[in-house]
Amino acid sequence: MNVLIVEDEKSLAGEIALFLKRENFLCDMAHSGTEASEKIAVNLYDFVLLDLGLPDYNGLDLIREAKEINADVSFIIITARGAVEDRVKGLDLGADDYLPKPFALAELHARIMAVARRKFRIQSPDITLGEFVMNASSRKLMHGESEVEITKKEFDLLYYLVINRNRVLARHQLYEHIWGNALDDQYDSNFIDVHIKNIRKKLNNHAPAPWLETVRGVGYRITSDS
Amino acid sequence: MMKLQTKLALFNLLSKLVFSALFIGFLPLIIERINTRQTDNELIKKREEVISLISAVGIEPFIVSDTTGGFGSYNILKEEYISLERAPEDVEWNFIDVTKRIIDNETIDYRVLHYSLKIDGESYLLEIGMSLASITYAARNIRNIILVFLGVFILVTLISDLTYTARILRPLRVITGRLGNTSLPTFDHAEPLVTSTEDFVKLDRTLREMMRKIGELFRKEREITVNISHELMTPVSVLRSKLENMLMRENLDPAVESGLEESLRTLHRLKTLVNSMLMIARIESSQYMKEEIADICELVKEVTSELAPLAEDGGVTLILECEQIFMAANVNRSLLFSMIYNVVNNAVKHTPSGGRIEIAGRERDGRFELSVSDTGKGMSPEQLDRLFTRFSNRPDPAGNSTGIGLAITKSIADFHNIAVRVISVPGAGTQFFFFFPVNSL
Repeated sequence: MNVLIVEDEKSLAGEIALFLKRENFLCDMAHSGTEASEKIAVNLYDFVLLDLGLPDYNGLDLIREAKEINADVSFIIITARGAVEDRVKGLDLGADDYLPKPFALAELHARIMAVARRKFRIQSPDITLGEFVMNASSRKLMHGESEVEITKKEFDLLYYLVINRNRVLARHQLYEHIWGNALDDQYDSNFIDVHIKNIRKKLNNHAPAPWLETVRGVGYRITSDS
Repeated sequence: MMKLQTKLALFNLLSKLVFSALFIGFLPLIIERINTRQTDNELIKKREEVISLISAVGIEPFIVSDTTGGFGSYNILKEEYISLERAPEDVEWNFIDVTKRIIDNETIDYRVLHYSLKIDGESYLLEIGMSLASITYAARNIRNIILVFLGVFILVTLISDLTYTARILRPLRVITGRLGNTSLPTFDHAEPLVTSTEDFVKLDRTLREMMRKIGELFRKEREITVNISHELMTPVSVLRSKLENMLMRENLDPAVESGLEESLRTLHRLKTLVNSMLMIARIESSQYMKEEIADICELVKEVTSELAPLAEDGGVTLILECEQIFMAANVNRSLLFSMIYNVVNNAVKHTPSGGRIEIAGRERDGRFELSVSDTGKGMSPEQLDRLFTRFSNRPDPAGNSTGIGLAITKSIADFHNIAVRVISVPGAGTQFFFFFPVNSL
């Protein structure tokens, strides 16, 4: 997938690009609104990650412009302004998601995947985790023929780890993904431990799940080949 | 409390009534005076007529040479009479008084003029009387007419007063209506008011100027929060992405790995802190919408289902009792969620294993009341005093809490006009109460 990163903070744009390339995205960067406007006119992007706080351009205008050229381009707004109305306005103008800074790269990845799934109606493939099979479209976790009864939150947690498999996710990252910024202050490392403990209990009722690992002092990781 | 228009109308009515009552009270007196004077003038006029008649025809036709030597004449209905008779020498009379006369077994009050006159060396006494019955009758008629007139006058002026005051007070209603409809932060700069009343023009101008200034302040505050957010979060975002990318490298030394994770956790705390402070600033400058309707019990259920796994893990029983459906209007649902969540989460954290947390919603005295009671360790009065002060609650050693959660809860409650009360007994538990405003649905 082709991604344009519109971000005037060059080092941040670089870090995002580094991360997305590792995830096999094709990345392009624009450090100003004008540059972005030119690149959007010439190239066909699947995704534009758009910082709203551009010095030379109103980011919301850029969305309007780009949609006129290519209605299929997906926008994810990334902003540090945190104004309540920006989010509403952005989504009104046809942005597909909104991610306040500072965000986790893993979260950005999850959001891109979610938008792609929604937008391109990609039927999620079955993901094999040891003896278990997970499907994001049906939101089901199966062990053979029987379904593992896990809650919505537990599924989200597990799926976030699956999308970022083979990578350690810290507890606060997992918390942020599930509860968002609004309840940031109520963060408690214990939350995630309790949920993982419950997930493990439910999994172990069916079969052992060694692929869900605790990484001491850091967080959790799912190791899987597929 | 009374409307200005009602007050003015009432005052007008009262003053008219008082005036009318006084007038009616004095009316008999006035009428009597007028009548008396009129009657007396009439009597004097009649006297002159009689005197000129006597000087024309002489006294003889009026004097009957009988024992009384007098003359008397009543008209048929006995409303008037005239008498002329000889009088002793030395009498000199000229006055008017009220005398009772018995005529045909009937006592009649007369206003009588007594007048002594000398003709051809003889003294005569002339009396002219008018019955008071006819006078009183006329007076009653006049009084009735006046009463009817007064009644109609009061009614008509009352209606015209009401219409007129309603008309001239209309601008005031417009102004108060506008003020009532103003919801921060969306000030609408309404058109200047059209009215010929100078006071209202002044009031309107002053208020619009004030609204403009307040709107300006809010806009500035919003700009400041946006700028602070941008300036602080941009570098934090750069750092975070860098650290995360480093953490993703293959074959990291475990010590480096946990060091990076620790740095990320610290960064997360910084982000949380800034976000919390900005959130309070945004609530206090009314940057959040308040346009939703929320079922509070539904909201509480969502909170408890979120926290149930944690409570269960900590061996704490969560009990939820919402007796009736309560819909709160003009609220921000997600803010209210945070408000309740923070308090329940606090309770879960501070209640030891085996304890209970009861969340109850009920209506009392027409207001909806939500309480969260725990069997936790409770708080001392000093702790209680500083409960809602930012950073007064010492962050816990694990670095999980920033001590700003209850300050957020308080500012959300204030934003929604929800009163908060806390009762706490050290060692026995804490009780939070939220009192929702009456005007909620």
